Amino acid sequence: MSFTIRYDDNNQELVMAGAMSPRAADELGELRTMFEKATTQVSGTLYLNVKRLVRLNNIAFHELARFVAKACHDKPDLKISVVTSSVVGWSARKFAKLAHISPNISVEQYDKDFYPGQGVLEDGGFIPILRTQTKLTWRHEREILPRHGMRPGLAVADICCGIGDFAALLAKEFTPSRLVAIDHAKPSLAYARKVAADFGIKGIEYVYGDASSLLVDDNQFDFVTCRHSLQVFDKPELILKELFRICKPGGRVYITNEKNSHCLGEPRGESIQWTYNEVAKVWAHFKMDIELGPKSRRYMADTGFDDIRMESFMVTNLDGDPQDFADVIQAWENVYAGQMAVERGDSPEFIARFRQGFQDHIFAALHPKGYAGWPIWVASGRKPA
Amino acid sequence: MTVTTGNTPFAPLLEIALGTDTFAANWDHCDRIATYVARMVSHNRTDSLLYANLFSSALNELLETAFRAHNGGGEISCTVSRSGPVDRIELTIPCNDKITSFYANAINDLSAADVADRYVAALLAEGELDPRIGLLELAVDYKAKLALTPMGQDKLRLVADLTLEDTY
Repeated sequence: MSFTIRYDDNNQELVMAGAMSPRAADELGELRTMFEKATTQVSGTLYLNVKRLVRLNNIAFHELARFVAKACHDKPDLKISVVTSSVVGWSARKFAKLAHISPNISVEQYDKDFYPGQGVLEDGGFIPILRTQTKLTWRHEREILPRHGMRPGLAVADICCGIGDFAALLAKEFTPSRLVAIDHAKPSLAYARKVAADFGIKGIEYVYGDASSLLVDDNQFDFVTCRHSLQVFDKPELILKELFRICKPGGRVYITNEKNSHCLGEPRGESIQWTYNEVAKVWAHFKMDIELGPKSRRYMADTGFDDIRMESFMVTNLDGDPQDFADVIQAWENVYAGQMAVERGDSPEFIARFRQGFQDHIFAALHPKGYAGWPIWVASGRKPA
Repeated sequence: MTVTTGNTPFAPLLEIALGTDTFAANWDHCDRIATYVARMVSHNRTDSLLYANLFSSALNELLETAFRAHNGGGEISCTVSRSGPVDRIELTIPCNDKITSFYANAINDLSAADVADRYVAALLAEGELDPRIGLLELAVDYKAKLALTPMGQDKLRLVADLTLEDTY
């Protein structure tokens, strides 16, 4: 058996993780002690966090159910909220049985709360624009990646792979020995698998997973990528910790992020600047940090990486067809002004001005003498050997 | 090579066999074998990690059942074969009359109309855990089709057909 149990008094949360498959109930003495302590101390709701519990045999479940039943009997006002993860397929169904014990027990999936912007960004309509974005960034990144340690034959994981197009490009350009692409959006993965099948790309394992709590074992990959994703989580340090964990000692983790307030364009630079400053505020309202790019070095150092390499590049309207750049900005306007600002409750006057900056950015991109840019920061670090 | 069971061809994927006494010497063998087999057979499923986690959980329950209900001596084997979305686990278990009776009754009970209620009741019951619990879980939560094939006087074969990608 390999599991951990800890009680976080501040959050009234009992966290169970790992594989819990005892031969006999009396092997769960530590759990019983911890559970009794928690139920004694807690007032209101006790949270049972099982989202990283990957195995729980019936012996352990039976014993846990006994603890729960006793707690509900001894403390009738106690509420117990079991927090599962959709990534562990059996978990929600199994723990739902606990709700038979008492109406004070609820079972919920954690994942949705963790991804505050997910609803907006996973909208199927955003998929085409993600492809265009990757097309624009790839012409830079294919040159940048080798400077960060990418080379043929590595075991690679692309975490938060989205629609999987970056993974497909990696497979083609760098022929990894293994390539696992993980995302938390089933529609995106379905799209990724379809695209891979349509184009005859084989060997990419597209996997449903929670980036903050991956089912992947420790020290599995030589190179781990996570692009444009730390910025959409409210706890990026948790993701980095997971990337660090699954990376082999001596391997590297590669991340890209933006600082949207540094998007620029001419003509109409002032309007563009105002709108992108506001973009940062809208994202912050939804607990996402679209300004994270330059903070990457600090995040990587704090996680424990060494040999941190960092650079930035600018996607511009001069990278191929300016209409591609314009299409990306139009999609941003639709989401940021059309959905997020509306959801935040902004006034029509604000939204009109907000939209104007995007339109001016598009104007700059398509103007025969114009220049429009979207800066991106790349950082990579080595997991100490 | 393909083996045919009924009308459905199943392609063999993997077989593990070990002395029953060796198997029964360490409870952790259940978890280790389940984890290993699941990894081996899941790599080309649509979602390999999710599938492996589900498969190993199901197989672990079968192995734990066998760990508790088997006869000494001989060999215990675990075979996995595949027919499209269905993965078939076959456990060959040394048995005597009492053990055969245990499995036969347990499998028979799975066809009861209230099997889901029985499973929940067993999970939440006071006292000792019902030794059939793993089979109940497979039938109810994993929607496995379970069957028993006697193999002479001293062996039986427990067959579980799992369709995990459609179920979850």
